[in-house]
Amino acid sequence: MIQELIAFGILGVALLYLGRKFFYKKKKNNDNCGTDCGCG
Amino acid sequence: MQTTVDRLKKGDRATITGIDADALPLKLLEMGCLPGNSVELLQIAPLGDPMYLDINGARLAIRKETAKHISVEVTS
Amino acid sequence: MSNENINVALIGNPNVGKTSVFNALTGLNQQVGNYPGITVEKKVGFCKLPNHAKANILDLPGTYSLNASSMDENVVIELLLNKNDKLFPDVAVVVTDVENLKRNLLLFTQIKDLEIPVILAINMADRMAYKGISLDISHLEEQLNTKIALISTRKKQGIEELKQLIMSYKNLSTEPCLNASSMDPDYFGGLRKTFPNELVYKLWLVITQDVNFRGIEKKEILSEHRKSDSELKRMQQKETIKRYQFINDVLKVGQTIDKESARDFGTKLDRILTHKVWGYAIFFGILFLIFQSIFSWSEVPMDLIDSAFGWMSTAVQEHMPPGVLTDLISQGIIPGIGGIVIFIPQIAFLFLFISVLEESGYMSRVVFLMDKIMKRFGLSGKSVVPLISGVACAIPAIMATRNIENWKERLITILVTPFTTCSARLPVYTIIISLVIPDERVLGFLNIRGLMLMALYAAGFLMAIFAAYIFNKILKVTSKTYFVVEMPNYKLPLLRNVGINVVEKTKAFVVGAGKIILAISIVLWFLASYGPGDDFNNADKIVTAQISKSDAAVSQQELDGHIASYKLENSYLGIAGKVIEPVIKPLGYDWKIGIAVLSSFAAREVFVGTLATIYSVGETDEQDPIREKMAAERRPDGSKLFDLPTGISLLLFYAFAMQCASTLAIVKKETNSWKWPAIQFAIMSAVAYLAALTAYQFLQ
Repeated sequence: MIQELIAFGILGVALLYLGRKFFYKKKKNNDNCGTDCGCG
Repeated sequence: MQTTVDRLKKGDRATITGIDADALPLKLLEMGCLPGNSVELLQIAPLGDPMYLDINGARLAIRKETAKHISVEVTS
Repeated sequence: MSNENINVALIGNPNVGKTSVFNALTGLNQQVGNYPGITVEKKVGFCKLPNHAKANILDLPGTYSLNASSMDENVVIELLLNKNDKLFPDVAVVVTDVENLKRNLLLFTQIKDLEIPVILAINMADRMAYKGISLDISHLEEQLNTKIALISTRKKQGIEELKQLIMSYKNLSTEPCLNASSMDPDYFGGLRKTFPNELVYKLWLVITQDVNFRGIEKKEILSEHRKSDSELKRMQQKETIKRYQFINDVLKVGQTIDKESARDFGTKLDRILTHKVWGYAIFFGILFLIFQSIFSWSEVPMDLIDSAFGWMSTAVQEHMPPGVLTDLISQGIIPGIGGIVIFIPQIAFLFLFISVLEESGYMSRVVFLMDKIMKRFGLSGKSVVPLISGVACAIPAIMATRNIENWKERLITILVTPFTTCSARLPVYTIIISLVIPDERVLGFLNIRGLMLMALYAAGFLMAIFAAYIFNKILKVTSKTYFVVEMPNYKLPLLRNVGINVVEKTKAFVVGAGKIILAISIVLWFLASYGPGDDFNNADKIVTAQISKSDAAVSQQELDGHIASYKLENSYLGIAGKVIEPVIKPLGYDWKIGIAVLSSFAAREVFVGTLATIYSVGETDEQDPIREKMAAERRPDGSKLFDLPTGISLLLFYAFAMQCASTLAIVKKETNSWKWPAIQFAIMSAVAYLAALTAYQFLQ
């Protein structure tokens, strides 16, 4: 049924979003560190 | 009387005679903490630290550990 | 450089009213984001100029000079050194404050040395008479090689003149106003020979700063023109002294101050506000007033929002065809969004107060008063604002730690702020307190329930301080920055600035926390609505059979409630609750409470709604029906489930547990690593568990 398709689609988006937010390793950007920013 | 800023009493006015350049952040100099400029101690925080100063017209608060690197001649 | 839009950069010392100028130029046509990869605010806006051209206005972080000592200040140099940056200014507007001209002009002379067209904006011109200051504008314009706009954002004067000057930026001279290289002619002469196509001052900045400069490498220059670090530092000091000499000479003629007519209300005010007794009394008095107001003012809007979302939920259920999507929307998504929106009033009000305190200049005095105490716990005086903000929501609070220069102090503030009692914990506190704490008075007028609530707030705050103390002892993070806090002049807060600030901070919460809470709500809804196995799939048959066996007369609504409860029990979420039961039993909880606690990881306040479902109250989170059911719950041995020990245990658990994924996300962002949110989660969970365990076992 359409309802189930859309609902599970929404679930998929939610999971993807959370996955990206919490597990994506952002590129290490250490060019901008001053002597005291304590990155990582 | 020659002394350092951390030893000033509230209301003291002084002229800066020397600074320990390595111990002070450049920012402080850039805000006017240079030999020849005036310093006035406006308030000390209730527990003795930080110190609220008027340096060359700029009003700011710094900790005593920083203030002790500024030498002054008390004028009043 | 971009098509026909003029790129304008607003630069200036902190506290000169740069933001007011930005707001006056752009109104609400502004956008706040972040510079890529770092946690510095990027504010861009646009404004229409008199000749119908458009100007892109970039509000750069406040700085005292181009010699950067923090990430904020780095951003300024990086932009000014990179001609090819999209936002590289066609013209720079240096905003200064008429009372602090001498100090503000240091930055001005440095920017002039970069040969960028510069307009000097002297703000707060309305205070000139009050302070006995008069300026010889033409002398200043001539000596400083620039055009001056006298502005008063408060009186709304000077903005049109500024726009005119921006429009005709091409007429501005790009000659520097002093020759900085004369401090060491040999060295700079050498630089000029090696790099004939670069500005000498630019090279100097590359050598002395740690910034990204797409062009020449610092090493390249230094390899040929060696100077040790201490030599460089001495040269920087000489440069500063030279600049000040120049500025003093210019101002000797260009500015006159009549000390007789100058009035100084600020100093008198300072004497009271930083007084060793009155200072603190006034501060705590103000805090108390703020909290009282926030809670009483928020009640009405919160009730309205609650009803509105409840109505929407029912409306969807009634008007959409029955099915999974309809249920998801009316039971997962709408309540999820509602749970976020309902906190907007409290958060907005708190930031309203904080904003007013900051704009007026009072906050710096608070920082001054609190610094020594805070330092003992590894925090900074500047940690006060985040800790107070945490009472609304930890997310904007953690973002507010950006102005703490010392990394260790900042890190500790970030780690402990979530211990303070945020708004989301209140619904949980309210229902548990009303369940297990008697509604009585002590000493004749003190309500015990009220006292309990205050005690919880105190516990959160004290735990934050205590945790800071421990972190301070344990963490081996080196940092060596200096505490320098400017004490700006007192001024009446500009409503427009306050308004824009409140909108920005509230947006940070709604957008930052909102998306995560919604996503987790959706996932949890699925986990609660689907389950493995026959028990779940045949719930209605099983329950109906059970009910008819038991002979009791049951309405359709009650039957539905029982079915919903059974389904929850056998869903994935329910199974998870049963799985963790052995772990939470020592705390006095059963698997039903376990489900509610797990759901709270989406958002703490979800606890109440989940309990409603578990106790088959049906779709409501009206407190009374839930409370009755909860009060009636019994353990296997017949004793009350929600008794005092369990109640206190739950309260303490919620006080200290890290149940906010959004907070973890922001901590990750602000500390640029996974290590810290992970540590935070581990420690807070441990503290929560132990506190709840101790309370329960002790009170048995």
